[in-house]
Amino acid sequence: MVGNKATATAVKLARVQVASAFPVTPQTTITEYLSDMVANGELDAEFVNVEGELSSQVVVQAASRVGARTFVCTSGPGQLYMHHPMHQTSDNRLPVVMATVHRGNKGMMPDHTDLMSQLWTGWMQFYVEHNQEALDTCLMAYKIAEDERVRLPLVFGYDGYVLSYTAEPVEIPDQDEVDDWLPPYKAMPSILPDEVLPENLGGGSGGGDPQERWKKHHEAIVNAKDVIIEVNESYGKTFGHSYGNGLIEEYRTEDAEAVLVAMGSLTGTARAAIDRLQDDGLNVGLVKLKCFLPFPKEDFQKIGKKVGAIGMIDRNVCLGHGGAAYTQIRNAIYDLEERPSVLEFYAGMGGKEVRVDDVYKVGEKTLKAAKSGGVSTSTEWV
Amino acid sequence: MQIPLEELTITPGSACQGCGAALAARLAFKAIGPNAIRHRVPCCPDSTTAHPSASSVFESGGAMLTGTWRGLKAIGRTDVQVVGFFGDGGTYDIGLQSLSAAAERNENIWVITKDNEAYMNTGNQRSGATPIFARTSTTPVGSVTKGKQMRKKQIAKIFAAHGIPYLATASVGYPEDLIAKINYGKTVKGFKMLIIQSPCPVGWRYDGSKTIEMARLGVQTGIWPLYEIIDGEKLKLNYKPRELKPVTEYLKPQARFRHLTDDNISLIQEETAKEWETLLKSDELGRVLL
Repeated sequence: MVGNKATATAVKLARVQVASAFPVTPQTTITEYLSDMVANGELDAEFVNVEGELSSQVVVQAASRVGARTFVCTSGPGQLYMHHPMHQTSDNRLPVVMATVHRGNKGMMPDHTDLMSQLWTGWMQFYVEHNQEALDTCLMAYKIAEDERVRLPLVFGYDGYVLSYTAEPVEIPDQDEVDDWLPPYKAMPSILPDEVLPENLGGGSGGGDPQERWKKHHEAIVNAKDVIIEVNESYGKTFGHSYGNGLIEEYRTEDAEAVLVAMGSLTGTARAAIDRLQDDGLNVGLVKLKCFLPFPKEDFQKIGKKVGAIGMIDRNVCLGHGGAAYTQIRNAIYDLEERPSVLEFYAGMGGKEVRVDDVYKVGEKTLKAAKSGGVSTSTEWV
Repeated sequence: MQIPLEELTITPGSACQGCGAALAARLAFKAIGPNAIRHRVPCCPDSTTAHPSASSVFESGGAMLTGTWRGLKAIGRTDVQVVGFFGDGGTYDIGLQSLSAAAERNENIWVITKDNEAYMNTGNQRSGATPIFARTSTTPVGSVTKGKQMRKKQIAKIFAAHGIPYLATASVGYPEDLIAKINYGKTVKGFKMLIIQSPCPVGWRYDGSKTIEMARLGVQTGIWPLYEIIDGEKLKLNYKPRELKPVTEYLKPQARFRHLTDDNISLIQEETAKEWETLLKSDELGRVLL
C-alpha cells in the first residue's frame, strides 16, 4: 500500500466526518482516494473540494468547532499558503488532524521545510518513517488531539514520493477494534445555539489576557507529551504496533558511544547504515525523532548523558540559523554538566538522494567526535 | 408586515452613533431569529448580535461558513442556520475568493454584507466598494488626484453570475423590504446573499442623525437600487419611483463628496441613469441584463 493510501485508509477507519483539501503534488492522491471512498459510500463524510489550501484549513477549523471529526492534508506550497489560519485552529484549541506529504521549497522533491515553516503555529508535529507508521500515527493523532487534557491540532508529515507513491506492506486494523479504541468526538465548549454558554454569546476576541492564553497554549503542548506516551502504548497493546515511547525511538543504542538522529524516511536509510557500522565494530546507535513538537527534551538529556557525540541529520535548514532539530538538541543538552558534542549534517534537501554509505560516513565522523571529546560545532552538507 | 419585537443585538455594542451597519445587523438578525450561528471576519462594528459566534481569518468568510454548515450536517443539526455578517472588505475584496468558491458549491449558508463603502474598521481606507470620486484616507483630495479614481465593484452582478438561488440588495432605510428578503431567503436552500447599504456617518462625513435619510436618498436617487435576483437569472426591482431624484441630493450632504466638480457629478448622474434603465428593462423582461 502506498503512503497516501495508508493515510486515506486511516481517515476512513477514524470515521472522519468532514474532510477538505486542495490537490497539490505529492499529496493529490489522498484527495482522490477520499473522494472515491465518499462516492462509493465507504466513508460517510462531507468531503469539501475547496479552491485553495487556506480555505481547506478554515473549513476543517469551522467543522471541528461545531463538533465534527476532521481531516485536512497538503504539501509544500499548499502548506505555506495555509499558514495564516493554522494559528487560529490551534489558538481555538481545535483537534484538527492534518497530513503533510513533504515537498521542498526549491523544487517538487521532499524536505521538511514545509512543515518546519509552521513551527510557531502551535500545532503538534510528528515525522513518520514508513507507510505503516503513517496509518498508525493518523489514528493515534485523533486520540491525542481530542484528549481533553490536550485539545490541540496535530500534523504528521511523511516524505513525498519516497512514501506517498511507494508501496510497502501495511497491516490494516479492524474497524470494530478502532471504533472501540477511538470514541466519537465532541466539541467543547459547544457553539450550538441550544447548548452555548450565555457568556459565549456574541463571540469576542477570545477573551482574557492574551499573554495568559499564550502561556496556557504553550503549557498544553508541552504537557501533551504524557498523553502521546500513553496513546502510543495503548495503541501498541491494542493493534500490535508502537513507536519507541511515542516521542522518540531508539535503535541499537545499547552501549553506543555516539548516536545519529534522523527524522522521517531517512530513518530507514540510517537503520541500514547503523547495522553496517556495528558490524564493522563501530559503536554508533540511532535515534528516530518522531515527535518534534512538543520537543522531547528530557529524552535527549538522557541520551546526552550516555554518549560522547550526537550527529543530527536535518532535512531542513532555517536559513541563517541552522537545522531545526540540531538547534533543539543542542538546547536540550545545554543543562547537562557534561555535554556531548552535537554535529550538524544537512541531508536529503530538496529530495537529494541519501545513500547508506553517506550515513555510514556521518556515523564515522560522529564517532570520531565522541572519541576526541569536546563540544564540536561541525556543520556539513551531505 | 410585523417586524419581530425580539431584540438580538448586544447593547452596548461597539458601534458609533448613527451606525448604519449596527442597524443592518439589528434588522437582519431579527428576521433570522435565534437559531443561528453568526460568523464574522474583521469588520466594523465587530460586536453586533447575541448569537453563538466565532471569527476566522479575514480572507476566509466563505470557507468558515462552509465548514460550519458541513459540520452541522455531519452531526445532524441542519436546523441551525449558518450566517456570515461581513463587511465590504470581507466580501468585495480580501474575502471574495472563498465566498466565490462557496457560492459555486452552492453551500446552504447566508452571507449578509453590510456595505459601508470603505474599510471603516481601520479608519476609512478605500475598498472595492468605495464609489468613484469618494474621499477616503487612501484616496485623499490632493492637488493631482481628488478622491477615488475607480468605480465601485459590481459585486451583486458578480455573485448573480454564480447562479446562486437568492441574491438581493437592501438598505437600512427600507426595513420592511430588508426583512421581507430575509424571510424569503429562509425558505430557500442553498447560497443566499443580502447586500445592505449601510451609511457610516464617520467615514461618509455627515451628521449621525441623518443615517436613515442618507440610506433613503441612496435608493431614491438610483445610486443604491433595491432588487432581487433568483437563480442568477430572474430579476425583480423592488423600488420603482416614477422618477428618480437627482444624485446631488445624495452626494451634497456627504463631505466625502464635497470636492466633486460639476463634471464629476454629471458623470455619476449619467452612469446612474444608464444603470437604472438597464434595471428597468431587466425588471420588465424578468431577467438579468448586464
